Amino acid sequence: MAGELIVGVGGDGSGFEAARRAAKIAALMKVSLILVFGYESVAMGPRGGALEEEIEAVGEEALGEIRDELRTAHAGLDVLIEMVPQRPVDALLAAADEHAASFIAVGHGGSGPLRAALLGSVTYEIVHRSHIPVLVVPDDEDDLD
Amino acid sequence: MADTIVSDTVASKGLKGGSLGLVAVIVIGVASTAPGYSLAASLGGVTGVAGLKAPFIMLFAFVPMACIAASFYYLNKADPDCGTNFTWGVRAFGPKAGWIAGWGCIVADLVIMPNLAGISGQYFLLLFFDEKTANNIYLQTAIGMVFIVAMTWICWKGIELSARSQVLLLGTELAVLAIFAVIALSKAFGKGISRVVPITHDDGTVVNTTFHSVRPSLSWMSPSGLSTSSVVAGLVLAVFIYWGWDTCVSVNEEAKDSNKTPGRAAVLSTVILLAIYLVVSYGAVALLGPDFATNAGSEAIYQLGKVALPGWLLKLLIIAILTSAAASCQTTILPATRTMLSMGSHGAAPAKLAQIDTKRLTPDYSSWLFGGISILWYLVLVVISHNSSTDAYNASIAAVGMAIAVYYGLSGISCILYFRRWIFTSVKNFVLIGLLPGFGGVVLIYVFCKTVWDARSVDYGYGTLFGVGTVLIIGTLLLVLGIPLMFWCSVKYPHFFSFRPDPVDLVKDPTGDDTLAAPLGTYTKSNRGGI
Repeated sequence: MAGELIVGVGGDGSGFEAARRAAKIAALMKVSLILVFGYESVAMGPRGGALEEEIEAVGEEALGEIRDELRTAHAGLDVLIEMVPQRPVDALLAAADEHAASFIAVGHGGSGPLRAALLGSVTYEIVHRSHIPVLVVPDDEDDLD
Repeated sequence: MADTIVSDTVASKGLKGGSLGLVAVIVIGVASTAPGYSLAASLGGVTGVAGLKAPFIMLFAFVPMACIAASFYYLNKADPDCGTNFTWGVRAFGPKAGWIAGWGCIVADLVIMPNLAGISGQYFLLLFFDEKTANNIYLQTAIGMVFIVAMTWICWKGIELSARSQVLLLGTELAVLAIFAVIALSKAFGKGISRVVPITHDDGTVVNTTFHSVRPSLSWMSPSGLSTSSVVAGLVLAVFIYWGWDTCVSVNEEAKDSNKTPGRAAVLSTVILLAIYLVVSYGAVALLGPDFATNAGSEAIYQLGKVALPGWLLKLLIIAILTSAAASCQTTILPATRTMLSMGSHGAAPAKLAQIDTKRLTPDYSSWLFGGISILWYLVLVVISHNSSTDAYNASIAAVGMAIAVYYGLSGISCILYFRRWIFTSVKNFVLIGLLPGFGGVVLIYVFCKTVWDARSVDYGYGTLFGVGTVLIIGTLLLVLGIPLMFWCSVKYPHFFSFRPDPVDLVKDPTGDDTLAAPLGTYTKSNRGGI
């Protein structure tokens, strides 16, 4: 099935608000919602093993939490979880490609302007690299409505 | 979780393979070896024990390290765990030896931290002030401590420089070192130069000594005339300069299915590294003779640079050494914290060590714990060095060489023991998992034992602590401390200590297609995995 919505979610709760908004839209569109957790350990030295297991545990906990919340809020909505061991941006774009998604939803507010300029922000890169529409939702609930 | 997909199709390195090109892999391999810093830290010591033969020591130290890289490569195929020596040690020898191997790795990283911090402090001050200020122990220590905090913070934040800025930094570093070597060698081959330098002797008298250029000779690459003890003393200093080089091997593994680029990059970065160490050590020895470098100690590269290079290039050389010291933290803090994480995660040590920062996805508790202990250890060494004739601080290079020798040596032996069933099944296996790891392991274990034996004497250099050579104390004290700690953990975490080595008949062929071993902890005293 194509047309799913992709949401990028972080281990620290970033993207949760984006997931809530996207869930409402997905319920209306009657498509599945796919929560994507992209992670990549530092590119030096042997990788994998214990470090990745611990990171996956963090991701599974955060994704499980928001998935359960969304399933309660929208009965009948199909919420899936995907753990992608890649840079978050690459993970989201690849997942969107694979599912021929309708759009990508991401949170915003993780990095300030200076840090975003020096190190790059996921949101910024997604907006510029995505071929499909991107929904950017501020992470802080107080900023909304 | 039934509906959780760890997506393999998406993870098939399509995007990443393209981004890790030839240059990037070379850069990762060479940068994590930190040639500028390694030379600054060890050159003076190597000329001290080997004199004109420093180039031989620099090259020869590569041999056992390269042999051990083969064991890293194949053990990594069986268990690509961030605990490396720790997990491999458990699989080959059992939980107790594995625990000690992990400890050895953490100790090696800890022992080098004071030197890393001290050299960064010294060269930072050299960049902005004069030599007198740079040798002010209080300023140096303060900056060194800031450096440790900053490096820990970077590792905790998971900050990585973009590939492009790394290429720029490493390119500058290699270029400055190469220019230095060319100028030094051309001066030595030409008329030669001489310098008069006031040398302070042990008894406090200052004598003006003249140093002359020496005409370079090919014989500097041969061991003739060196005693075994000098070769070993040189090796224990020089294995340090190749520490981190094995990163190349694991990055190689990373992208192996994309194309042949990584394999070629591993070879190329090795050639670049060997070439730069060879020409720089030739240039350094030839410019004003080995005694000049020995006398300058950790300032050797700077002092020689001052003679050979114009002012702005000297500044660039200092910047190169500083950035290279920062890069070296990648091969110091990261492996230490990952080994701690792995030990915590597998239940061999407090679980808190495996705690992951939910936002940055790095081991936060281990990182800050390691940073904190490093600062304490740094202060202890500075206080000892400052208040006695003991040169604890420079002794740390030899001490870290001992720690590297023992834990690299152990992984060579682990490789043979673990894969013993497959060694004689083909010529390739015999060479790659038997001969090379065995040779490297035996050489390094010998270097360790011989250093313990030689360093017990009070005239090994670097002064004494409690009536014994400083190197011996620093090199073995922390290692030995691991034994009571290990027994304490064995009481607290009996489940981990009931693990058994992997049964030999279940070990898979490391050169085959399917190499991954069963998860650590599959085989315990009560469960032999179905045998």
